[in-house]
Amino acid sequence: MYPGPLRNLIDEFARLPGIGPKNAARLAFFLLRTPRDEAERLSSAIREMKERTTFCPICCSVAEGGQLCPICADDRRDPSVICVVQDPRDLMVVERSGSFAGRYHVLHGGLSPLEGIGPEQLKIAELEARVQDGVVTEVILCTNPNVEGDTTALYLSRLLRPKVAKVTKIAAGVPVGGDLEYADEMTLGRALEGRRDLEA
Amino acid sequence: MGITRLELVNYRIFERGLLEPDPHGTTVLVGLNGTGKTSVLEAIGYLATARSFRGATREHLIRQGIEDAYLHATVERHDRPSTVNAQISRMAPARMTVNHQPVRTRRDLADVLAVTTFAPEDINVVRGGPAGRRDVLDDALVLLEPTAGGLLETVDRVLRQRNALLKQAKGRLTPEITSTLDVWDERLQAAGTSLITLRETLVDDLQDEVQRAYAALAGAPVRDERATMDYERSFSGDLGTALLANRDDDARRIRTGVGPHRDDLRLEINHRDARTEASQGEQRCLALALRLAIHQRVTARLGTPPVLLLDDVFSELDPDRSRRLVNELPEGQTVITSAVPLPSNVTSATVVAIEDIGGGRHGSLRSI
Ligand SMILES: [Zn+2]
Repeated sequence: MYPGPLRNLIDEFARLPGIGPKNAARLAFFLLRTPRDEAERLSSAIREMKERTTFCPICCSVAEGGQLCPICADDRRDPSVICVVQDPRDLMVVERSGSFAGRYHVLHGGLSPLEGIGPEQLKIAELEARVQDGVVTEVILCTNPNVEGDTTALYLSRLLRPKVAKVTKIAAGVPVGGDLEYADEMTLGRALEGRRDLEA
Repeated sequence: MGITRLELVNYRIFERGLLEPDPHGTTVLVGLNGTGKTSVLEAIGYLATARSFRGATREHLIRQGIEDAYLHATVERHDRPSTVNAQISRMAPARMTVNHQPVRTRRDLADVLAVTTFAPEDINVVRGGPAGRRDVLDDALVLLEPTAGGLLETVDRVLRQRNALLKQAKGRLTPEITSTLDVWDERLQAAGTSLITLRETLVDDLQDEVQRAYAALAGAPVRDERATMDYERSFSGDLGTALLANRDDDARRIRTGVGPHRDDLRLEINHRDARTEASQGEQRCLALALRLAIHQRVTARLGTPPVLLLDDVFSELDPDRSRRLVNELPEGQTVITSAVPLPSNVTSATVVAIEDIGGGRHGSLRSI
C-alpha cells in the first residue's frame, strides 16, 4: 500500500471524470518525480481557478472575479438574440464558428432525472428573467443532440413560446438561416463531443 | 457477405485463435464439448451486434487473468473487404471499430456484418416472456430500418428518465413534476409510436413467409398448418393519451405501464396460442420459421445474405425436420456447430477441428 499522502492524491485523481485507478496512480507518480515548484504551479492553478472563476451574472457562463463575461460586456453583441447552450464549452464551439453575433445563456446541464437534474437545478429561472423585458426577440436552443438535450429544448420551447417572438432549435447537421458554415462548424463540434464507445 | 478471417485474442478460453472460413460456403466446427465451438459463433455474433447471443456479460468473454479480449474479423461484401474489431475490457465499455473508424451505433456494424443466429434457446422466443419476442423484432428492425437503432435507444433512455422522475415524485404529481413529465411523455409518444409502427409493419411483412416456412419445416401443406402472428399493443388508442390516463397509476407504482416496452407478439398455431398451447416440437418449428422469415427479409434488403450461425440446432430436431431446415437455408456463408452428425443433405462443408483444451494448453483453430 502507498503512504497516506500519496494514496490521498491517487484517490483524488481517480474521482476525476475519465480517470481510472491506473491513470490516477500514473499522474500521482509523475507529480512525485516533478520538481517542487512545478508541482506547486498545478496546485496554485487549481486554487486560483476556484477563487477567481465566477459565473457571469447575466448569462451564467464562466467569468472572472464577479464581473460580466467578455461577451456580455461587449456592447457590439446583439442583445435581441440569445443562444442557449448547456455548457460553457458549447458556447466556445459556437463562438469559434464566428458567425453568431448575439448573446448566450448557459444552462449548466440538461434535464436528467436519472442524475437528479430538474428545471430547478438548471439556470432556467435566470433565462426566464432575461426575456421578461421584451428586448429579446429570438431564442435559439442549441442543446446537445441527445435525448436529454432534445427534451430540455422541448421544455424550454414550451416555457418560452408565450414570452418570446421566435424560439428556434438547431438540429445537429441542419443549417440555420441558410448559413451552412455555421451549421458545419456546429456539426463538427457536436460530432466530436458526442463521440462515445459502444456499450456491450 | 462472408467472413474470410476471424482472429480471437484472449477471448474466453482462446489465447489466440484463427479461423479462415469459406466466405460463400459452409464451415462445420467440430470438437469435444467445452472446447469453445459455441464461443466461436458467439464471437462472430458479437462483432455483428456488440453483444453475446448467450447473454454473457463482458467479464465472461475475457480469458481468465487477462484484462482485454480482442476480436478481429475481415468481412467480404460485394467483393469489398472490411475489417471489424472489438476490444472487450473488464473495466470499460467495449470499443469497436469498423474499418478503423469508431462504431457509434449498432447500425454501423450492421452495414458491414450481419448475422442470423439459430440456437437451441430460440424456443424461448415462442414460450418465454414478451421481452424475447420484442427483441427478435427489434434486432430485425435494426438491420432493416435505418431509423430503428436510434428509436430504440431513445425509447429506452426516455423510459429510464421518466421512471427516475416518477421515483423522485414519490407518488405526488406536483405542478413542477407534471410540467417535466409532460415533455418526457411527449418524447415517449413520438419515439414509441414510430417504433410500434415499424414493428407492426414488420409483423405484417413477415406473416406470409413465417406461414410458408412453418409449413415447410413441419412437412405439411400450408392449409393444414397455420402459423399466424399478431402484434399486441399494451394500450388502445393514442400512446400520448394512454400515458396521460395511466399517469396516476404509474406514479404510484413507479413504472411506465404502457408503451412499446410492454407490447407483445401473439403467435398462433392453428388458432391456438403457441406461447402456451403448442407442443415443444411446434414451438421449435415456429421459432425457426420466424428466424428464417427475418433472414430472408434481411437478405432482400441488404442484397446479400447475413452470415448464418447454427449453434447445435440439429440435436433438438428429429432427422426429418433437420433435413427440412437444411433445405430451407438460403445460400451464403454458414458456420455450424453440432453435437450430432449433420443431416444427410448437408453436402459440402469445410470441417474445422478445435483442439481439445486441457493440461494448460491453449485452444487454437486450424483448418483440416
Ligand atoms: Zn455573460
